[in-house]
Amino acid sequence: MSSQRANQLIEAGLWLRLSGDAQGARRLFERALELDPANTRAREYLAAAEGAPSRGAATPFERPPDLEPSPGRLAPASNQDLPVAPALEGDWGAWAEGQGGPREPGGQAPSGPMVLEEGAPADVLELLARDVVSDVEAPVFATSGDTDEYGVPEGNTQEFGLPAAESELDLLLRGAEDLLELDDHSGAVDLLFKAKELAPADGRVEALRVRSERMLMMRLESRLGDLGRVPGVRLPPDDIIWLNLDHRAGFVLAQIDGLVSYEDLFSLSGMTRLDTARILVQLLDEGVISTD
Amino acid sequence: MAEPEPLIGIDLGTTNSIVATIQDGQPVVIKNRTGQALTPSVVAMAKNGKRLVGGIAKRQAITNPQETVYASKRLIGRKYSSHEVQDALRALPYEVVAGQHDDLRICMGGKELSVPEVSAMILQELKADAEAHFGRPVTKAVITVPAYFNDAQRQATKDAGRIAGLDVLRIINEPTAAALAYGFGRTVNGRVAVLDLGGGTFDVSVLEISQGVFDVVGTGGDTFLGGEDWDNRVIEWLVFGFAKEHGIDLRKDRMALQRLKDAAEKAKVELSSVREAALNLPFICTPPGGGAALHLQATLGRDKLDDLTSDLAERVVGITTEVLGEAGVRASELKEVILVGGMSRMPKIVEAVRGYFRREPCKGVHPDEVVALGAAIQAHALVQPEHELLLLDVTPQSLGVAIAGGSVRRLIPKNTTVPTSATEVFATSKDFQRVVKIMVLQGEHDVAHQNELLGEFVLTGLREAPRGQAEIDVTFDINAEGIVSVHAKDRETGLRQSITVTASSGLTEEELLRIMDEQREYLLAARASDELKSRRVELDSLARDVVDALTRARLLPGGGGLAPDVMPRAEQVLEHARAVRAGEDVAALGRASELLAASLAQLKGAAGSGPGR
Repeated sequence: MSSQRANQLIEAGLWLRLSGDAQGARRLFERALELDPANTRAREYLAAAEGAPSRGAATPFERPPDLEPSPGRLAPASNQDLPVAPALEGDWGAWAEGQGGPREPGGQAPSGPMVLEEGAPADVLELLARDVVSDVEAPVFATSGDTDEYGVPEGNTQEFGLPAAESELDLLLRGAEDLLELDDHSGAVDLLFKAKELAPADGRVEALRVRSERMLMMRLESRLGDLGRVPGVRLPPDDIIWLNLDHRAGFVLAQIDGLVSYEDLFSLSGMTRLDTARILVQLLDEGVISTD
Repeated sequence: MAEPEPLIGIDLGTTNSIVATIQDGQPVVIKNRTGQALTPSVVAMAKNGKRLVGGIAKRQAITNPQETVYASKRLIGRKYSSHEVQDALRALPYEVVAGQHDDLRICMGGKELSVPEVSAMILQELKADAEAHFGRPVTKAVITVPAYFNDAQRQATKDAGRIAGLDVLRIINEPTAAALAYGFGRTVNGRVAVLDLGGGTFDVSVLEISQGVFDVVGTGGDTFLGGEDWDNRVIEWLVFGFAKEHGIDLRKDRMALQRLKDAAEKAKVELSSVREAALNLPFICTPPGGGAALHLQATLGRDKLDDLTSDLAERVVGITTEVLGEAGVRASELKEVILVGGMSRMPKIVEAVRGYFRREPCKGVHPDEVVALGAAIQAHALVQPEHELLLLDVTPQSLGVAIAGGSVRRLIPKNTTVPTSATEVFATSKDFQRVVKIMVLQGEHDVAHQNELLGEFVLTGLREAPRGQAEIDVTFDINAEGIVSVHAKDRETGLRQSITVTASSGLTEEELLRIMDEQREYLLAARASDELKSRRVELDSLARDVVDALTRARLLPGGGGLAPDVMPRAEQVLEHARAVRAGEDVAALGRASELLAASLAQLKGAAGSGPGR
């Protein structure tokens, strides 16, 4: 049982790492190792994570062949709302693949042409869901009052030693709180999205998710500045094809023609506002687009 | 004296719309606010609840298909049960439901909208573009419709204009407008053919022009043949090429499909002026197994495009032959052939038409603009009666009454110039008939119920007499506005009864007024929400700066020499800003921003060393 739990935590950790949150991932790997000290995967990933503390680093995470999941098992594909690849840096763009880093086998791949089939949960979520104890009533989690939207939250989270009886949901919520405390709203949003899959009706998840999404959105928007401004592409087409973008970023980039404003792009993208903002900020940060 | 009010002509198309005006005596197209002459006739409700009109709505049409309404012209003024509507619905992805009187309602953004309401959104956009051009309000317009539009469709188009806040001076036929733009009212007496190949429809009309009167003597076409068919061939070609190379069907991904469509149309347009077009779609899809996103790169030559679409060009010629045949017109007796619509830019089409008519067709530099230019010319002529060119309007379809045996007696044949009047004497069909019912019909069919029923009324109190002896005068009057009134008079008693037929677009007057009110409210709300948005952006950025400054101040020993109340106060202000941000009070947002700015100044001022961000 505990080894299964450990494996689930590893999966969740990988997930988090893919979305660019190495710190959160490391925490989960550590937890997995605590539960199952013999777990080689946890050990390897943790070692790798510690060896490369910066997000989006190029350290490859080779999966031991015997534990290789079926291809696509981890893929957060088929769902627009999921960030699909790890970010380069910062907590904005949690979707683009690490530059130059080898891809996780069967891992982060957004499975291309099928993105629009909504609703299919990613495999990792199913995996997590299998073991969900329905004790969502468990320890009441304070969702308001203990953090400040604008300031540093005074969270009462603990880094280590979660009680063994705690459900996945609590784990995710706690993780999200941790990340919020670390100002990693992007990672928190990802975890909360997963938590929502586990317990769609849970008010705590929703409250926390709404809050962190709003916060993240606000930051992204303020990074973009006046949304009425019209961005333009700075790179010539020949340079663009050498960028490391996925098809969703490619789509957004294709819409930027020097005529449409950021606000229009939100309407055009066909994605959620949050996803679109992440992509735009990523493109802006990488110098692909600008509003000059 | 004040400047005369600006006048505009609008080509409200199935795929694209254009607005034009007369400037310094010359008809000119008014570019929209993105600098384009053409505004796609597309309206959408984006996922964020924003109403989109024109190019931007078109560009999200594939990724947001249920909430994007295009080709509403196919539906305007029609009955839900009509086969034209049922045919159109099979091809449209958005939801359309039946209204209360067999009219139709389009579902968009959680609301059921009448078709004129949707068309009005496009007209409103064009009106706004014109106002931006003139720098003052524009209210008077001439709008064009296809020659085959009946009264209900014309009336619905007029209603759309009213909803958009336009005073529609006249509805005129598209081929007539095109002929006007070429100045044919003055220079040509005789028959001309107008071939209008637009984005979604192909209309062929034969006009008889004599002394400034334009009669439509024949009309036909294919309402499902247009530029989009050419685009689709290019898309197929790209998709198959990509599938061959990578084994991926791009059509399954809406984002990819949207990009393919945009690129295909662009390439097609380019190929009318150059021989080769490059298609570059980087990161078009990510392969299912993972790995780097793939690029689509292709080069399309003009010959290849002609090759891919040769059957479509043949259909254009085939349909033209058919319509001319039905109208009993030989190609050789035509004085001119006019090519209209963006697709007639394509060299292959010009070539096919030239080959068929054995003459060079009239084709301006911008064949897609001539209809709007003609409409502008007409608008100008209407308000300047001294102007020599005055287009006379004609009745698009015949008018008559139903008579015994279920057939029709026509009083005013189609293409009669208006204003006009006609009287005919009718007699009772039964012995001792005291009541007669006058049913006013429009259409060309000999069987009464195959025509459109415009209205009916009853004349009572007839003298009891054997059939055929009581006589009734029936008079049809059509005024210059196209309003039909019908009078019936008992010759013996002088008793009269009459009806004024205002073609119904499916909307009642009350509905129309309500919609016009809503539109006004929408415009106000849209303006307010823009402001709200920008205030929030301002607030967010200030809040962020305050948080940063606050964090920095906390780290400094002794708060960096800040007065003791500065930090708690800043926190308070932040809390307040957060509360206000959730609301929609623009003024409160502004005040909160001011408070934040003041706090920021205090934090920075006292910290001294802080260079800011």
